[in-house]
Amino acid sequence: MARAAIAFCWVMAIGLALFLIAPLLVIAAASFSPTPVFDLPLTGASTRWYGKIGRLDGFWPSLLLSLQIALLSTAISLISGTLAAIAIARGKLPGADIFATALVSPLMMPGLVLGIALLQGFRAVGFTAPWATLLVAHLVITLPYVARTMIAGLSRFDFTLIEAARTLGCTYPGSVLRVMVPALAPSFLIAGIFSFLASFDNYPVSIFLADVRTKTLPIRMLQYIEEAPDPTLAALSTLILLGTVILLFVSDRVVGLHRMAGTSD
Amino acid sequence: MSEAAPHLVVRGVSKKYGPTTVLDHIDLTIRRGELVTLLGPSGCGKTTLLRAIAGLAQPDTGKVELAGRDVTHVPPHKRNVGVVFQSYALFPHLTVAGNIAFGLKVRGAARREIDAAVERALSLVKLGHLAGRRISALSGGQQQRVALARAIAVEPDVLLFDEALSALDRKLREEMQVELRRLLQDVKATAIFVTHDQDEALTMSDRVAVMNKGRIEQLAEPRELYLRPASLFALNFVGLSTRIAGTVLAAGNGKVEVETKVGRFSALGNFQAGSPVIVAARPEQLRIGEQSEANTAAGRVRSVVFQGSRTLVDVDAGAGESLLAELSGRDGKIPIVHDEIRLSWPVTETFAFPMEAQA
Ligand SMILES: Nc1ncnc2c1ncn2[C@@H]1O[C@H](COP(=O)(O)OP(=O)(O)OP(=O)(O)O)[C@@H](O)[C@H]1O
Ligand SMILES: [Mg+2]
Repeated sequence: MARAAIAFCWVMAIGLALFLIAPLLVIAAASFSPTPVFDLPLTGASTRWYGKIGRLDGFWPSLLLSLQIALLSTAISLISGTLAAIAIARGKLPGADIFATALVSPLMMPGLVLGIALLQGFRAVGFTAPWATLLVAHLVITLPYVARTMIAGLSRFDFTLIEAARTLGCTYPGSVLRVMVPALAPSFLIAGIFSFLASFDNYPVSIFLADVRTKTLPIRMLQYIEEAPDPTLAALSTLILLGTVILLFVSDRVVGLHRMAGTSD
Repeated sequence: MSEAAPHLVVRGVSKKYGPTTVLDHIDLTIRRGELVTLLGPSGCGKTTLLRAIAGLAQPDTGKVELAGRDVTHVPPHKRNVGVVFQSYALFPHLTVAGNIAFGLKVRGAARREIDAAVERALSLVKLGHLAGRRISALSGGQQQRVALARAIAVEPDVLLFDEALSALDRKLREEMQVELRRLLQDVKATAIFVTHDQDEALTMSDRVAVMNKGRIEQLAEPRELYLRPASLFALNFVGLSTRIAGTVLAAGNGKVEVETKVGRFSALGNFQAGSPVIVAARPEQLRIGEQSEANTAAGRVRSVVFQGSRTLVDVDAGAGESLLAELSGRDGKIPIVHDEIRLSWPVTETFAFPMEAQA
């Protein structure tokens, strides 16, 4: 009986993993399609769609914009989110729990609601510069990821480590740099990756703030698929997928994927 | 510098956190190479005093001098103290060797010098084979040794241990007490241990400072602390005793006559007639039968606890008072429960303490 149950769980695990990965495999396969429709390359593969990515209308500005916004919002979130997390985890801040919940709350809000709310909010205060509104909106998207990870990381950080470093000859700022930053490096990395990815592929919030000249890559991609659905998009998706896999692989080397997934300590 | 010269001087150090006085005019002088224990109940200010010496807490008043230098306003990284924390506070991102090298690295020591010092410290704590290990892959006892090696490697002027052994299990802790004392004597370290374990204090130190409510009640060698406690608190905190409440009848020449509910006793102490006092004696001073120049009291045996080389006998003396005697096998017959016995103990080993100081 117990063995049957275990076997069933195994089947579940493998089945679900396939279910999650299958679409990615399909899109990767379709990117090598020899014909201009989404097709599996059964009659010979072609890489010509990869060559066409760069010639997509408005591709480079959109990629650049998405990278800029993702990197910048991640960097700002990492610094400000970590400082806020220190106050919550360390300072005897009254109502720290409430602040923690507030910082993480955008995670629980539907992206569309957040997008409309931000659009209305920005209009109301007369803040309409597209690039800047996008950046601020993406801060709202990325901060919760950083706050959540850093609060968890800091709650496990032993602040006597800093005192130990000081008695061993480090100045206070030196101790923070030499001890706290490396001890929290895994948390920084995890927070950074999730925050970067959340910003880079965000559609529902960005769509409300973009204009004709300021379109992030996900918006641009949706536009392509409406205009001319051919395997170029599959090729682009595959490249993004590849980039993500490389990012995760490298991080796994550094801190361990199981820690990033939160399935073990 | 001569062996007897004061090496660490704490003078009139006070510290308040909000309205509570945590340190109350602490005076403490420690000689070079001396091992001193701060012994006291939880919350009496031991850690705070240690932190004041390390520079991690700034005293409100008073001075700290270390190795002939006034360090009262010197930040911790310039004090040259070594601290072994209760949680060990080892750096998780560094190996064993990396942890030990840390202090020398931030001091900008040369590579060869660092390697040599790390090797020396590792062999001192017998961990040479674990130099490349991650901290998370060490046992509690091994972590304790790494923390010690890290503190010793920078050759600090004083080593501070805040309940450094309390996380170890009992057997390991007892082994480490002996080993640590020998090791510290070998390297001629000056050290302060903080503990609330009296056995640890008596085993490890040249002198023990008994702390209570932010004050040092007594600073004495372990033997003297046990034989001549300066206060009721010190008496209670270290070792067992018989204690009987009474009133001084007559006083003079450093002795008092005390009337209690279970008889009249002579004791050492200076009091005015009429003062309420506690008369006390250590259990090994109590014998069955009469002795000369002695106090005596009688009662019924309430319990007999055999402890190997000795037997503890608790006697109900009536009126809510009890007598505690520690008898060794050589004292002849050991009584059994419900026996009526008479105990006696020398007047010169009987102390009187003021009643209100009872802790
Ligand atoms: N940073 C602080 N802020 C406020 N109060 C403090 C602080 N540090 C210590 N105290 C208080 O000072 C008192 C003494 O604390 P301390 O840590 O020195 O005691 P201790 O003797 O080391 O006790 P324990 O044996 O429990 O470690 C306690 O009442 C404690 O609550
Ligand atoms: Mg303490």
